[in-house]
Amino acid sequence: MTDPERHTLIEDAQGIVYGATMAAFGIVILTHLGLVTGQTAGLAVLISYATGWSFGPVFFVINLPFYLLGALRMGWQFTAKTFTAVGLLSGLSLWLPSQVSFATLNPIVGVVLFGFLSGSALLALFRHGASLGGIGIVALMLQDRLGWRAGWVQLGFDAILFTLAFAVIEARLVLISFLGALVVNLVIAINHRRDRYVAT
Amino acid sequence: MTDPNRHSPLEDVQGIAFGVTMAAFGMHLLTHMGFVTGQTTGLAVLLAHMTGLPFPAVYFAVTLPFLGLGWRRMGARFALKTLATTAALSLLVMVLPRWAELGRIEPLFAAPLIGLLFGIAALAAIRHGGSFGGLSVLWIELQDRTGFPAGHAQLLSDVLIFAAAALILPFDTLVYSFLGAAVFALFLAINHRRDRYVAV
Repeated sequence: MTDPERHTLIEDAQGIVYGATMAAFGIVILTHLGLVTGQTAGLAVLISYATGWSFGPVFFVINLPFYLLGALRMGWQFTAKTFTAVGLLSGLSLWLPSQVSFATLNPIVGVVLFGFLSGSALLALFRHGASLGGIGIVALMLQDRLGWRAGWVQLGFDAILFTLAFAVIEARLVLISFLGALVVNLVIAINHRRDRYVAT
Repeated sequence: MTDPNRHSPLEDVQGIAFGVTMAAFGMHLLTHMGFVTGQTTGLAVLLAHMTGLPFPAVYFAVTLPFLGLGWRRMGARFALKTLATTAALSLLVMVLPRWAELGRIEPLFAAPLIGLLFGIAALAAIRHGGSFGGLSVLWIELQDRTGFPAGHAQLLSDVLIFAAAALILPFDTLVYSFLGAAVFALFLAINHRRDRYVAV
């Protein structure tokens, strides 16, 4: 068995593939229902709804400025892994709609599924030294440097995003979206524990 | 923050609820695609196929006889927890098609997705002391009584399930099923590490 304290390259690769795949599947569900979410992905979804551009390319471009911050504060390895995860997610989100479709999907059930899928995706990415870029890098940096819980920082950013969402989608859909963002942030706030998952 | 080495009851509940939801969605996909898989779920798929009875009912019925065995080996607490988990899982698989009706799904995408969903579900359940019940407790009992290794018994039973499936399923369905089962097994083999996830 490999070193308990350090992931091998293959272990990190499978963790990042898991995270990007589950996050992309979550985005397919979210956009199928016309809902929004928080973080950088939420910003990209909102811009995608407002302009009609696809989520994938918008998400990829929004993340570009954050790599500099990532490289400066979190190191090149974290930045390279994050770039890979963001690239994979962007590509998969363009490809997935041709692979999977729903005949009907209850919005409440769909948004909880989205919350579990993206929550566990982010958890896997964090544990394998990556993220989905953007505000995630800022939140993770604050948790590691100042001890602020990443979950709470992300909730603050989400509050601003959701206020803007009222201008783009129906109020009913914003409220359903709120449930999804709550699930994502709860999954991370409860389970992202470096004292429990000790490998890096 | 809670004790790093022990999960609180609430933490276990959210972990097992996550596992049940992901497993239910995986089973919903599996039966929608007409795939089989290994162990208890695979046995239930075959029995449902042969008898024409609904899969969730068959799955729940198959897990019942092993509850008594679990009670004797692991105690009442474990058996009741397992009963609650399998009951919730069966119910969710039963109602999920009403809320999330799947459309066209490419089998080459569905197979690894099912593997990832089953993998993360099992990982979460194991880390939070949960169990989906069924055959595995029988293999542990067998090992204790006869010395026959539980891992070998598990592999052998999967070979038998896939051999039986080969008699009733088309060849391509069998190959996709095998791909899903391989992703599931590989995901667990890489990520189930008590030396990395230290809390119980």
